[in-house]
Amino acid sequence: MRKSFKTLLSLGMATMLLLPGCGNGKKEEAAFVPKYDKDTEFSLTVAGSYGNFESLEAEFERFYEYYPNANLEYVTMDDYNNVISSALVNNEPPDIFTTSSWMVGNEMYDAMFDACEVLSDSSSGIDYSCIRESLIRTTDSGDVVMLPIFTTSYGMLVNMDIFEKEGLKVPTNFKELMEVCTKLKNAGYESPMMGADRFSGSGLFNCFVYPMFAYNVTKNSDKIDALNNFEPSSGELMRPALERLNEFVNSDCIDVAKCQEEIVDEYDSVIMRFFEGDVPMMFATGDVVSGTAKRESKSDAFTANPFKYKFFTAPAGDDGGYFINSISICFSVNKNSRNIDMANEFMRFLISKKELGNMAGLKRLIPPVDDFSSDEIYSALADIPADRSFSDKETGLLDPAVRQFRAAIYAVGNGEMTVDEAVAAYGSIPEE
Amino acid sequence: MKRGLIITINLLIMGVILFFIIRYANTKAEESNKNEIIAFEKMTMTTNQIIANYLEDEQHLCDIWANYINRSAEDGAPMTAEDAVSFIRKAKISSEIEGHLIFLDSPDREGISTTARVSDPSVYTVSYKNLKIFDNISVSDTSDVVNLTRAYTNPMNGVQSIAFLNNVTVLDKESGEQKKGLLMRVVPLSRLEQKLVFLKGEYENVEISLVDKEGNYVVHGKSFKNSNFFEYYKSYNAATSEEYERVIKEIAGGTGTMTIKNFKKEDCILSYTPLETMTTWFLLAYIPVNDLVASRSIDWQLLGIATVGFLILLIFNSIVMMNYNRELSEAAKQANQANEAKSSFLSTMSHDIRTPMNAILGLNEMILRETRDDNIRMHSESIKTAGSTLLGIINDILDFSKIEAGKMEIINVDYSFASLLNDLVNMVQKKAEDKGLSFNLNIDKNIPMVLNGDEIRIKQVIINILSNAVKYTKQGGITFSIHADKMQDKPDRVRLKVSVADTGIGIKPEDLDKLFVAFERIEEKRNRNIEGTGLGMTIVQRFLDMMGSHLEVQSEYGKGSVFSFELEQKVVKWDPIGDFEEAFRRSTSERANYHEKFTAPEARVLVVDDTPVNLTVFVNLLKRTGLQIDTAESGDECISLFAKKSYDAIFLDHMMPDKDGIETLNEMKDITDTPNKETPVICLTANAISGMREMYTKAGFDDYLTKPIDAERLEMMLLQYLPEDKVTIVSDKEDTTSDNNDTDEYVLPDFLRDIKELDIDSGLDYCGDCEDYLMALETYLGSAEKKAEEIEKYWAERDIKNTTIKVHALKSTSRSIGALELGEFAARLEKAGNSGDQEILEKELGELISRYRQLAKDLEPLKDLEESDK
Repeated sequence: MRKSFKTLLSLGMATMLLLPGCGNGKKEEAAFVPKYDKDTEFSLTVAGSYGNFESLEAEFERFYEYYPNANLEYVTMDDYNNVISSALVNNEPPDIFTTSSWMVGNEMYDAMFDACEVLSDSSSGIDYSCIRESLIRTTDSGDVVMLPIFTTSYGMLVNMDIFEKEGLKVPTNFKELMEVCTKLKNAGYESPMMGADRFSGSGLFNCFVYPMFAYNVTKNSDKIDALNNFEPSSGELMRPALERLNEFVNSDCIDVAKCQEEIVDEYDSVIMRFFEGDVPMMFATGDVVSGTAKRESKSDAFTANPFKYKFFTAPAGDDGGYFINSISICFSVNKNSRNIDMANEFMRFLISKKELGNMAGLKRLIPPVDDFSSDEIYSALADIPADRSFSDKETGLLDPAVRQFRAAIYAVGNGEMTVDEAVAAYGSIPEE
Repeated sequence: MKRGLIITINLLIMGVILFFIIRYANTKAEESNKNEIIAFEKMTMTTNQIIANYLEDEQHLCDIWANYINRSAEDGAPMTAEDAVSFIRKAKISSEIEGHLIFLDSPDREGISTTARVSDPSVYTVSYKNLKIFDNISVSDTSDVVNLTRAYTNPMNGVQSIAFLNNVTVLDKESGEQKKGLLMRVVPLSRLEQKLVFLKGEYENVEISLVDKEGNYVVHGKSFKNSNFFEYYKSYNAATSEEYERVIKEIAGGTGTMTIKNFKKEDCILSYTPLETMTTWFLLAYIPVNDLVASRSIDWQLLGIATVGFLILLIFNSIVMMNYNRELSEAAKQANQANEAKSSFLSTMSHDIRTPMNAILGLNEMILRETRDDNIRMHSESIKTAGSTLLGIINDILDFSKIEAGKMEIINVDYSFASLLNDLVNMVQKKAEDKGLSFNLNIDKNIPMVLNGDEIRIKQVIINILSNAVKYTKQGGITFSIHADKMQDKPDRVRLKVSVADTGIGIKPEDLDKLFVAFERIEEKRNRNIEGTGLGMTIVQRFLDMMGSHLEVQSEYGKGSVFSFELEQKVVKWDPIGDFEEAFRRSTSERANYHEKFTAPEARVLVVDDTPVNLTVFVNLLKRTGLQIDTAESGDECISLFAKKSYDAIFLDHMMPDKDGIETLNEMKDITDTPNKETPVICLTANAISGMREMYTKAGFDDYLTKPIDAERLEMMLLQYLPEDKVTIVSDKEDTTSDNNDTDEYVLPDFLRDIKELDIDSGLDYCGDCEDYLMALETYLGSAEKKAEEIEKYWAERDIKNTTIKVHALKSTSRSIGALELGEFAARLEKAGNSGDQEILEKELGELISRYRQLAKDLEPLKDLEESDK
């Protein structure tokens, strides 16, 4: 009896060890077990548009522990979006390359997607179940050819030291936000919230109300097509977000003019201004947050007076903030790779809660897995209820519709349009 | 030295050697590393030259294209863009290389490519709209300048490439005007990298990068984890802003080498030099330090081998040393055994020589005391002298043995200096006079009367020197001088200066050193007739050394020598000895024949010896003291008497069969019911080797007396131990016996002359007079049967040892009564017994006993005489 039990136990453990990749979400992740001889010599090239990809290069080093004779290289491609299709069919094609969710459906990238290995094919051996399902993109035929590596979101950086100093709690809904801002204003903070007054996704208005708008869209999925087709009546769906924005910009929370004056771009300037240490809350995307670590040492003010900061969703809703998770970049495998097996092997290694967490931690982006512990800066995201957590894929919005919303909030936020005008002009609001 | 200490010292020496090896190896390694770094820097320069040559070649080819196109324009027949690209398409040889003719002033920086876009073979239009590669590049017509882009992605095929540039003039078809275009020779970066393949042979992990002056990579080495080298440096080297600026300046400043950390925090060598053809670009050659200093591992191997070698050597040496030590230990053991054998030999020799010497000198003393015949006295004196010489030789050997064994001790006692001088002069003067030598005394009158020191050893030292002087002087004389000086710093002491000058043969200067070497005799051949062991001067020197002095010798070969020494002595009595010479002369003239020192008729002593003759000698030596002397021939007999009768002193022989002296003494000590509980027991022994005193004292004896028994010492010892009330001291002037009336009252019975076994003359010679002879015969007769039975008993038990001892006793006693043949017979069987020859004993012992019994039977009439005397 005991012997049989031991045999079963051994078999069970062996099976657990053999389970590849992320495995089931709640289950303890199995360690990576190399499929090939560790002395295998091979080279892989990963192509992308990032000038630096140190987090990936760190993964190369970790991968070398299993395959010491491997040689992996990251290549930055100029004009990536235009060149990648050609690069995949030249004499020196990359084995793995970065892709983005917005490329899906774009004819320009059909050839590129045609060159992608089907990662959902069991022969690839890649278990991507650790990735949040809402982030998985499929082709029309249902194949998975790209897997998210980093995700981003819209929200705000909070100077925790100021809140601690003023004895305040970080606001979780719009009402609390108003109260906190009043107190901060009274405490001498001219503009308790700041951000880049830019048209882009990293602009302060977008960071504040886009998640709220997207959430509203998901709750009215029957009107998505109308929005995508720029039907004027569908502009009404923007109203709650625009009204909340209007309320916001006219409150004590933000001095838009000050933002325009002091924050000249939506990336470097946002970070450096925040590091001055006198801004309690700074609107930012995950991409902006990813640039903070390197700039800490570049900021004399932060070096002199470092402080603790974290990323929160913007508390635009009455019930709280919304966590909209957007894919930052994906990895695809070139099915014509000369080392297709090893390219898949690297992906098999990389697509795990542990490695994706490591990469996101180094890059300071949000990992695509349900584990925000890799970087404490994103730890607050774990507190957002599932109901208000969703991916941009779930909205069903196409890029043109998103851009119209962005044009609407840019106009309302800057006082160029009223809410009614913007709602009425949906589909024809001038973009930047 | 203990083994652990030796191993520790060896390990320390090894450690020191290894330390120096490491230091040397490190120094060499550092030199080697420096050389490696210099070589690496040279390699960088070489690489720089190769890259420069390559770039110049590529630029030159681009120039050729441009020149052809521009010459057409100059000739008034400018090419259209399509013509120019068509020309380039024909002119270029490699399919990998593309020609792009672009117009920077067009909205999308568009132009025509020689090769179609790989993703769409119908498209030859190329756009550089999204590529920022022309910033900071000055395009010039001069052909000797390389105009180069950074590495970028070729928009037509996505291949990482570099482009060589030239301005060209072409015809705008639409306007018919000439317009400027930028001709680009686009070369895959891999072509440049291939030029560096040769480096892999020499430096496996070398990486070559090209950076612009801002640090942005033109060509990117894979270990540099950033898009900008300076950013990379800052990220991984924890550099201060000053260091960061210094690095930027150094790289921009020219050729050099620096150490940086890579992303793994490993030390790496970075060699840098500005690119010859493009001074705003810099070549960086990077390699991990460990790759350059890999040869260090060989040093460690050598060190390891040296360490192992040393350890093997240490183990080998330890094993060899252990073997040597074992052999030495064995040799030492054998030497100890040999030493023990020597001691045993000396003991035996001492015993065996002294035992007969006891009879010789003891009985000779009786002759001297009792004879009035001058001839006999003269002969007897000669016997005494020869006996003394022989004893001297034995004593010298024994003293040397004691000194060698470290058991010789200086025992200081109070002594009369006049008495010491008296003994010395007595001993030597006659010898000198006998040789016809003058013996002159030069004795300081102020020498204190009583001194404290080792009288015996001082006497031995001076006797040895004086005896030597007498021995080695044929004519002339000997002057014996002693002077005493008071010591200023030690008021209770005097310094004696003793010198003996002779007119002897002298000593050659080269022989002086031999004087103090044991057993070494100077001019052995010449002096072969002079008796001696060669130990005398050695012993003198050792004794003086022990007493804090040393012997000085001044000698002139053929003329004589002076031996002198100085000796400190504590003064007990400062009275001067006065004129010793006069006193000595007087005492000599008054010297009478022997007379006893005391009489003690009331005192009773017991003497125990298994050899009856020794008992006879003992009794006779004390005859004139009137002492009552009981004799016993065995331990048991002694114990029996000890329990019954009261004695004032007991003399107990050590070496006896059955129960030796020590065993007997132990039994005596156990007896409580005895009148002799306080009686001193003195050991009689023929053993006189070193350590005897300690041994006998430890065994429980009160004192010991060596054989041959010195009559004077015996009397002195009795004076010491006998109760004073029983002793009457006899002054020198008194003489208790009337020598003149001393006649031999005893007449030998006639039947003795009929006994064939007896040589009466020999017996009388041995025993001295008829009385003693008869006494000896009676003793012999009385113990004969018992002795015979003892021999038979021991033989029956095949106890060869005790049988031989008894035969030895029979030999001695037989000889002493003149039974010479029987003595010889016994001597032969004793020898057989000593060699373990049972066969002879088996064959002849019966006959010996038979003859012994027959002799006893022949002597039985003596019993009748004895009865009648009673």
